Amino acid sequence: MPKNKVVPIEEAMSHVKSGMSIAVGGFIGQGDPLTLIDHLKTMDIKDLTIYENDAGFRERGNVELVKQNKIKKIVASHVGTTPEIGKAMNEGRLEVEATPQGTLAEMMRCGGAGLGGFLTPTGIGTVAEEGKQIIELEGRKYILVPALKCDIAIIRAHSGDTWGNLIYRGTSRNFNVPAAMCAEYVIAEVENLYTLGELDPNAIHTSGIFVDAVVRANVEYCTIKEEKYNG
Amino acid sequence: MADAKTIIAARAGLELKDGQIINLGIGLPTLIANFVPEGVDVVIQTENGAIGVGPAPEPGCEDRDRANAGSQPITLVPGGSYFDSATSFAMIRGGHTDATFLGTLQVDEKGNIANWIVPGKMLAGMGGAMDLVTGAKTVCIVSEHCARDGSSKLMKQCTFPLTGAEECDVIITERALFRRYPDKGFVLEEVAVGYSLDDIAACTDMAYAVADDVKLDAFGAE
Repeated sequence: MPKNKVVPIEEAMSHVKSGMSIAVGGFIGQGDPLTLIDHLKTMDIKDLTIYENDAGFRERGNVELVKQNKIKKIVASHVGTTPEIGKAMNEGRLEVEATPQGTLAEMMRCGGAGLGGFLTPTGIGTVAEEGKQIIELEGRKYILVPALKCDIAIIRAHSGDTWGNLIYRGTSRNFNVPAAMCAEYVIAEVENLYTLGELDPNAIHTSGIFVDAVVRANVEYCTIKEEKYNG
Repeated sequence: MADAKTIIAARAGLELKDGQIINLGIGLPTLIANFVPEGVDVVIQTENGAIGVGPAPEPGCEDRDRANAGSQPITLVPGGSYFDSATSFAMIRGGHTDATFLGTLQVDEKGNIANWIVPGKMLAGMGGAMDLVTGAKTVCIVSEHCARDGSSKLMKQCTFPLTGAEECDVIITERALFRRYPDKGFVLEEVAVGYSLDDIAACTDMAYAVADDVKLDAFGAE
């Protein structure tokens, strides 16, 4: 029987240490792992490097950890929805590296897929190619992007079973899927927890093979509670 | 007289071809969905992970797990679906998206686009724009002709950091439509109601040719 990975949030989050890199799922508030981020706010940690699409929405999300000076660097495609990020940058409290959205998603996917990196045409002729190796293949130029491996990933799913098979809902799937693949230790918060066999095997978006710990999402962050959601 | 954004979106709608898969940027480009011509069916992709985006939901029917890349609530049309970000950018970068419509800060005569950062201003980020201009088969810039200070956004050479090099195929402003051809560069094909060829020349810094059959009063009428 697949192992039961449901643990108290304190136990799962005890794997997070100062100086670690963390991949974070979500997209401007949709599918952001707010329960796990809330827990990070209570921990005595610093110098985190965060890889995520953005820093949150309406001052919720990783922007809250920036306010607490727990984050050293954010690698993201867009931080315009959280003005605090710009302020922290200007004050020298935070480093931000802007990365094209598709490149960031693929860095995560490749990291989880055992690939060393990939070649993308995105960003050729722009600042995105600065300091990067350019490779020409069949007459087209590509940027060589190394794959991303993180220490930790924190993600959120709508439904999950005790082994960590996950199903997302609507556009909350986004970066949760690639983030789940790229880290040594992957923590999923789930809005609805099921026993093994309750979820339709055809409908699983993230296999439990990628997930190390399952915790219950704070009920406040749950969307559709009563609906058993199978895809 | 409609405002500039409405004029631009209405003309951009006429660029849509039946069966196309399109991605609309945040802001003005989103309005183009209101101007899809009768008899034309397009499928809208949003890079945060949905295809088949339909009309905005009725007030009170918004769903927190259903939004576009600009965080506006969406509905899906029958046949629509959701996917993750890596798959979404396979659709975009992989050449499966027919057209993207994006606003801009600057565009130049080589087709360079600069729409993600103003040096010295607060960093926002490029989001999916670099992937979209690289991967979409047709890149249509929809933008007001001039910046707030009155300077032309259609420049000889972009001065802001680029989003994409030589990627722009069409420029639609409230005053004119230019299309770029491999041998001729940008060609002025249409002039909006209320403007003359001289007016366009006066407010356009980039070099362009004028089409032999340039259409005057081509769009923008009420």
